[in-house]
Amino acid sequence: MFLHWFPSFFGSLIGEDFFRSRPARRSLLEAKRPGEVGSLLLVLCALGLAACNNENISVYRVPKENNQVSLQTGSGNLVPPPPSNPANWTKPDGWTEKALSEMRLGSFQVAGTNDETADVSVTAFPGDAGGVESNVNRWRGQVHQPTLEGDQLAQSWQEETVDGAPTIIVDVETPAGTEKASAILGAAMRTADRTWFVKMTGPPDLLKTQKDNFLRFVRSFHFSSASNEEKAQPQEPPTGQVKSTNDR
Amino acid sequence: MTGKPQALDTTPRTPSVPGTPGTALLKAVFKPLASLRLTIVCLACAMFIVFVGTLDQVQIGVYEAQLRYFKSFFLYFTLPGSQFRIPYFPGGYTLGAVLLVNLIAAHLARFKFTWRKSGILILHSGLILLLIGQLVTSLFEEESQIQLDQGQTKNYSESPYFDELAIIDQSKPDSDEVISIPASRLIKGQTISLPVKGVQLRVDESYENAALINPNQLPSPNYPHLRLGPMAVAVEIQKTYKQNERNQPTAGVTVLKDGEPVGSWALSSGFPQPVQFKIASDPFSIVFRPKRYYRPFSITLEEFKHDRYAGTDIAKNFSSKVRLVDPSAHENREALIYMNHPLWYSDLILYQAGFGNNDQTTVLQVMKNPSRLIPYIACGMMALGLVIQFGMHLVSFVRRRVVT
Repeated sequence: MFLHWFPSFFGSLIGEDFFRSRPARRSLLEAKRPGEVGSLLLVLCALGLAACNNENISVYRVPKENNQVSLQTGSGNLVPPPPSNPANWTKPDGWTEKALSEMRLGSFQVAGTNDETADVSVTAFPGDAGGVESNVNRWRGQVHQPTLEGDQLAQSWQEETVDGAPTIIVDVETPAGTEKASAILGAAMRTADRTWFVKMTGPPDLLKTQKDNFLRFVRSFHFSSASNEEKAQPQEPPTGQVKSTNDR
Repeated sequence: MTGKPQALDTTPRTPSVPGTPGTALLKAVFKPLASLRLTIVCLACAMFIVFVGTLDQVQIGVYEAQLRYFKSFFLYFTLPGSQFRIPYFPGGYTLGAVLLVNLIAAHLARFKFTWRKSGILILHSGLILLLIGQLVTSLFEEESQIQLDQGQTKNYSESPYFDELAIIDQSKPDSDEVISIPASRLIKGQTISLPVKGVQLRVDESYENAALINPNQLPSPNYPHLRLGPMAVAVEIQKTYKQNERNQPTAGVTVLKDGEPVGSWALSSGFPQPVQFKIASDPFSIVFRPKRYYRPFSITLEEFKHDRYAGTDIAKNFSSKVRLVDPSAHENREALIYMNHPLWYSDLILYQAGFGNNDQTTVLQVMKNPSRLIPYIACGMMALGLVIQFGMHLVSFVRRRVVT
C-alpha cells in the first residue's frame, strides 16, 4: 500500500511547478522598486569590504600591565609568582629584593654611598646557554672591553666549584677614561641541565666594595637534585607547548 | 508526471501585468541570474572545491585549506619560481555569493506570494539566511586562545594563527597606546608609516617562519640569520601548515623618526620579549608576538584538572576553574569550564581546548561569532517550510485520493 502511495505522492510534489507564474498576481520583482534590490546588493558589498580589515594597522589603548595585575588579583601585589627554580641561595645583608621579571629568577638592588646603586640578577637558561665564552665576551662588550679568545679569555676569569657545579667568576670594568664608568661582576655556573648566571652591574667603586658579598652570594647557591631529576622524568612538553584535549 | 502537463503549458510564462521600463531592465538582468542552471553549476563547483579542499587538507592543514578553498574568491595557481598567481577556479566566497544572488533573484523573478507556496518561501528564506549567516560568520568570526598558568591572570586572548608587531607608546601614566602591525604587512624593503607623528617602520628582513637556534648551531657564521640575542639566532625555514605547529615569523626592523633611525632590532614571535626604546624622550617598546585581542574583563586560572581513568593514562576529564572579573559590569565570579560546558560571557564563548606544562597550564579557546544563532534560526525556518510544504501536499493528495 505504502509503496504504491509514496511514489504517487512524491510524483505529485515534483510535478507541481513552483516556479510558474499566475497571470493574476504580480511577482516580487514587479512589486518592489529597483532601489530596494540595489540596497540589498549594497549591504552585500559592505560585508565584503568589512572582510578586508585583517591586514590593516590598528591602534588601540590598553591599561598598563602593572595596573591590570593589581586590578585583577585585587592584592596589589605586582610581583608575578616566581618560576620553578631548583636552586636556593642566601641573600647578603644590605641587598634589597626587587620585582622579578620573566627572565629573572632573582633580582636585587645594592645601595652604595652617594646614591649609587648596583643591580644584581639571577637567570638560568637551558644547556650551555650559548657557551660561557660568548657570554663572558658579551659582558666584556657591555663595558667596552675587547673580545678575547682562547687562553687569553680563560685567564680573564677565576674558576671554582659551587655545590658541585663548575663556576667561573668574571670581574671586568670599563677602560680608564671612559666617560660613564661601569663594571660587571659575573658568575656562570654549569649544572647538569642548565647554566646559571649571576650578574652585578654598577659603578666600579661600589662593585669593589661589594665583591666579597657577591662571591659569598654565588657560593651560597645550592642546586637541588630537581635539575637532574627532570631529565629522568618522562618527556613532557616544555612550558609554552600545549596539547589539545582532543589528542589521544 | 502528474497527468496534467497540458494545463501547465497553457499558463503564460510572463506576467500579463505590464512593468515599467526600469522593471523590464531589471528583469533582463535578473533572468540569467535566476537561472536554475546557474544553481546546478554552482552546486557542482562547490562539490568540486569541497572534494579538492578535503584532499589538500592533508598537505596544508585544515586552516590553510579553509583559507585557500572556502574563504577565498578564487583558487590560484602560482607560477613556479614567481609570485604571480593565476586564478583558475571560483572559490567559496564567489560560489556562495553567486548562489545567494541566484536564490534571491529566483525569488524576485519567479516566486509569488500565495498560501500554496508559503512553505517554499519560508524554506528558501531559511536557506538565504543560512548563506548570509555563513558569510557573516566567515567575515566577522574571531578565534583566539587564552593560555593561563595556574594563578595567572590575563585580560587578552591571542590568535593561534596571526602575529603582530606591536609598537607600544608607554608615555601615558595610566594606559599604553598599541600600534599593531599585522605580520603579513612586514615585507622586506618596505617602509610603513605609523599613525604616530613622523614615525616610520622600515622592514630590513622578514621571514614567514623561522627556527630559533643557538648561534653555535649555525652551519657557518655567514649563514643568513637574524641575531635575536647572545643566545639565539633565527634562521628562515619553510612555512608550516601542520595543525600542531605554529609559524614563528621573524623580522629585522628599524624604527625611523623623521627619517632618522631610532633603533634596529631583530624580533621573532617565537621569542616575544619587548625591547624598550625612546622616541624624543618618550618611552616606547616593540615586540613581535601573537596577535592580541584585549577584553574588558580578566580571567584567572584558579585550578586546572586533568582526571584520568583509574590505573590508566586515558583522559577522563579536563576542567578549568577560572575567576572572571569585569569591573565595568560589576562581575566577579567563579566558573568551571569543561567538556560541553563552555563559559558564555558577553559576546564570547570560552571552551576548554588544551593543556600543558605538566597540567599546570590550561588553554581556553575563545570564540566570537556575531551570527552564531543564525544557523539555528535558518534550520528552524527550513524545517518549518518543509513541514508546511509537504503537509499541504500530503493533505491535498489524501483529499484527492478520498474523492477518487
